[in-house]
Amino acid sequence: MAAVGSGEVQKLAVLFERHHRGLFRYFVSMNRNRELSEDLVQDVFFRMLRYRASYDAQQSFTAWMYQIARNASVDQAQKRRGEVIGIDEFTEHKPDLSPGPEESAVRGQDLRLLRLALDRLPADKRELLVLSRFQGMKYDELSTVLGCEVGTVKVRVYRAMRALEQAYLTISGEKTA
Amino acid sequence: MNCDLARLILPEYLSQSLGESQELAFAAHLATCDACRAETERLGSLWRGLALLPDTLPEPGANVRDRFYESLAAYRHGLESAPKHGFKEKLAALWPKQAAFQMAISFALLVMGIGVGYEMQREKPVQPVVGSELAQLRGEVSNMRQMVALSLMQQQSAGERLRGVSWAYRVESTDTEVLSALLTTVNNDDSVNVRLSAVGALHAFGASPVTRAAIVQSIRKQTSPLVQIALIELLVDLKVTDAAPELKRLASDNTIDLSVRERANWALGKLLQ
Repeated sequence: MAAVGSGEVQKLAVLFERHHRGLFRYFVSMNRNRELSEDLVQDVFFRMLRYRASYDAQQSFTAWMYQIARNASVDQAQKRRGEVIGIDEFTEHKPDLSPGPEESAVRGQDLRLLRLALDRLPADKRELLVLSRFQGMKYDELSTVLGCEVGTVKVRVYRAMRALEQAYLTISGEKTA
Repeated sequence: MNCDLARLILPEYLSQSLGESQELAFAAHLATCDACRAETERLGSLWRGLALLPDTLPEPGANVRDRFYESLAAYRHGLESAPKHGFKEKLAALWPKQAAFQMAISFALLVMGIGVGYEMQREKPVQPVVGSELAQLRGEVSNMRQMVALSLMQQQSAGERLRGVSWAYRVESTDTEVLSALLTTVNNDDSVNVRLSAVGALHAFGASPVTRAAIVQSIRKQTSPLVQIALIELLVDLKVTDAAPELKRLASDNTIDLSVRERANWALGKLLQ
């Protein structure tokens, strides 16, 4: 990003190839809409170009990028206020759980139930889990993105996990009832 | 450790990011607390399940990539066709931000002004004097840029070193001292960002065989795949066809990062076209 900031805008292509899938997954986890998420990915990279001078090389690039992503998401929501946004049902991707180490890690949990439970969480809790677990962000990066202390992030991640457990148990009960 | 503290660091325990002493203390607490042990097992199971969820999400469509490259090309076109900076802006860009350098330049200009005035008083022919003063002024400015670039590149702060690298863009491409400093930065700087920036600055020095050989040699010295990829891309930009044997070795070396090997293969294709 430092190279992009110093005028080599073509280097943004390297960052795009590295991060656009992660960004897309972040957006689609938050809004469940493929088309809107694709637009937001474009918007984030365009904003990186516009605000490239504001990037501080001392700062985590990932944290900076997700700050932009959150702003883009908020702006998009304001623009579309009042519109009904379609919720896509994603069924085309099913991970192969039969062989491999993941099976024992999941211990037979139904990933579909877990995904439904995650979708039921309030946006702030879902975002926290998506950023920390899907994007692998560290607590100090999360504190930059969310604008709060590292200690607060720890408490919020714990609460989000407890809320996820509650939602998972509720959905499991609904399915078996 | 009590239950409240254990809950606070539970997510860090699950993501294996605790320090050794904290992890031991956490494990010791679990050994004596049934409630925390049960909770850790329940949440740990969900935590591991969360890691698999991204695979259930859709991939972005192919049009996302196409749209991005179209937008980037349009943006670059817009930048290139935008009106260039006027004389004032160029002059302002030359002016350093640090007070010490501002004072140094002011003092140098004052001395030169006195010198020019003195020469004019001696009623020498105007044209030759102005010509030589201008050449001297250019030399002074060039030396000043070199001095700023070299001194900033030796600073403790990575931000200052980045600024030093950006000053390297303003010196003559034949300046061997700045070239040497840039190569040292590329090979030895602690910060990946500074190294990447220095790789970019080497482009202007690409005509020199020293630079071209040094770029090839530097790839294996790098610990960061990012810098290795940037160096490989620079070889392609500079059309360093002599690098083909080294790129072949990199592409077939399984100890090298996969993305670097793929980029080396791509570079071979470009250079041997």
